Amino acid sequence: MPLDTSTYSLAHLRVDGRRWNELRRVHGQISTQAAADGSSYFEMGNTKIICTIAGPQEQRRGGNSGQSHDAKVEVEIGIAGFSGVDRKRRGRNDKRIQEMQHAIASAFTHTLFTHLYPHSTITIHLHVLSQDGALLAACINAATLALIDAGIPMSDYTAACTTGSTASYASNDEAADPLLDLNSMEEQELPFLTLGTSGGDDQVSLLIMETRVQATRLEAMVSVGLDGCRQIRSLLDGIVRAHGKKVLEARVT
Amino acid sequence: MANTIPLSPAELSYLHTSLSQTPPIRPDGRSPTQFRPLVAETDILPSANGSARICFADGTEAIVGVKAEVEKSSARPGATTDDIFKNSRDQDGDVDVDREESDKEGKGRDEWLEIAIEIPGMRDDDSLPVFLSAMLTEALLSDGGLKDRLWINSRFHWRLYIDILLLSQPRSYPLPLLSLTTHLALISTRIPALISEHDEDPLFNDDWEASTFLYPRSGELQARSKPPVTLLVVSIGEAVLFDPSRDELAVCDSAMAISVAQSAGAGLKVVALRMIDPPSRLTAGGVPQVLNSTSNPAATASLSPAEALVLREKDQGQTVWRPPRGGVRRAIISRIIKMVVENNGVGEEVIAGLAGVEA
Repeated sequence: MPLDTSTYSLAHLRVDGRRWNELRRVHGQISTQAAADGSSYFEMGNTKIICTIAGPQEQRRGGNSGQSHDAKVEVEIGIAGFSGVDRKRRGRNDKRIQEMQHAIASAFTHTLFTHLYPHSTITIHLHVLSQDGALLAACINAATLALIDAGIPMSDYTAACTTGSTASYASNDEAADPLLDLNSMEEQELPFLTLGTSGGDDQVSLLIMETRVQATRLEAMVSVGLDGCRQIRSLLDGIVRAHGKKVLEARVT
Repeated sequence: MANTIPLSPAELSYLHTSLSQTPPIRPDGRSPTQFRPLVAETDILPSANGSARICFADGTEAIVGVKAEVEKSSARPGATTDDIFKNSRDQDGDVDVDREESDKEGKGRDEWLEIAIEIPGMRDDDSLPVFLSAMLTEALLSDGGLKDRLWINSRFHWRLYIDILLLSQPRSYPLPLLSLTTHLALISTRIPALISEHDEDPLFNDDWEASTFLYPRSGELQARSKPPVTLLVVSIGEAVLFDPSRDELAVCDSAMAISVAQSAGAGLKVVALRMIDPPSRLTAGGVPQVLNSTSNPAATASLSPAEALVLREKDQGQTVWRPPRGGVRRAIISRIIKMVVENNGVGEEVIAGLAGVEA
């Protein structure tokens, strides 16, 4: 579906009416499922994800001999057939899904205190119910919330968002603006990257870019992305605090 | 199922005894036909034609999304001149709804419905998901009304994809959860209203407000037609228990999945019935006192294996737990069917309860 980005230069409004630095509506819930060790529901615009955590639990047999002294982080992503515009079923061995699983696992291996749980596995199940851009970023944010619900110690929130650039690689447009939090129509048309940070002072824990962009535009995109991650981080913090308050109030009464 | 039963023979025996009382005493104090409380919502996904989510009391959760796509019908052998003749008769202009409905009859085909079940930690071709999807498909197709409704005209039809996601590890047998969620998703499924007539390429009204429900809600006759629900029923001794918990499944004599559907203008009818291998068969039996080598070592030491077997068989589960054997009596099966389909029976109660769920 080609997207007409030419109107952007007129009013500086994007197809869904946002300005360049505006996030979509973010909504999150914690402890959505009683059977899981930790669970969360996260929405970024129309991207909706349910995350459940199993573990830390005894390491499953097989794999790397079980001799490691750190907990292993495993990620399983299931993209529902009805999540997109057309129904499409993706197998578990889809290369793109495997790459996302690896990226998420390595990002969380750094922020979680895995040395506290030797010989064990933490499994993150992500169920994508509806996708509209920023899939990887939404998965990471949902996993952060669910890991907090599971009570697994971590150094900081891992918050992620996407940034893009208004001009494609081919058009040599000098006045290209960076854009924050692309939806799926924009993602198909424009170059974009996914950025994840953890730690207060903008430590990048994940940066993935699959499209081509001119190197001069990259700096602006990353700095907008860092700002977006800061916003997401405070939103996640708000969700956690609101949930904590609710739990404490239920205890008191 | 991966989950083993964490109960000792003594505990199993206790549960079995209390459940075979009249009336049975269930561990959670429910009556035999009472269901556990559940949380349900419909129309949760904007990208699906119909969707539902159900969360059971034990924490298991399922989401079902129904998606419909228009597909070109392949030529069907044996239905050529008859169809053309029928369509030429319709040229007189307005077609009333009843006529249209009866025109669709018998034109649906089984392959227009596709069910996929995803259970975490299991492959798509593992026995549990394959068995569950076969059971759910069987019930939906034998209803008959559903596949006929997917017919658009002689060249096009709807293809219905039902994706069932179990979000948690299966704690007990997940069949009732998946079936109830599918029922809920199907009654909330809407398909765009058709504008084009007869055998033209189908053209649809793009106003979602004008879309029609796959299972109509208003109108006298059709409103009564409802998708099937599959209920899990266990029998323990003479007792029949609905919505068994994990502990109850662990001691049941037999378990069966019974699918009932409500067809237009008629009451409930059974559309599918399957016996399920109950997990109680995998439990370990207890050791009768006469064979206890700790309390009477002298007596048991002299026993040959054949004699020990005879003694064990003689006990017949009277003093210690013995895994159930054999099938179920016909009288119990007919009682179960009667309890489900009778007026104001369990089937009607479940369907009425699900109809009350709001978006």
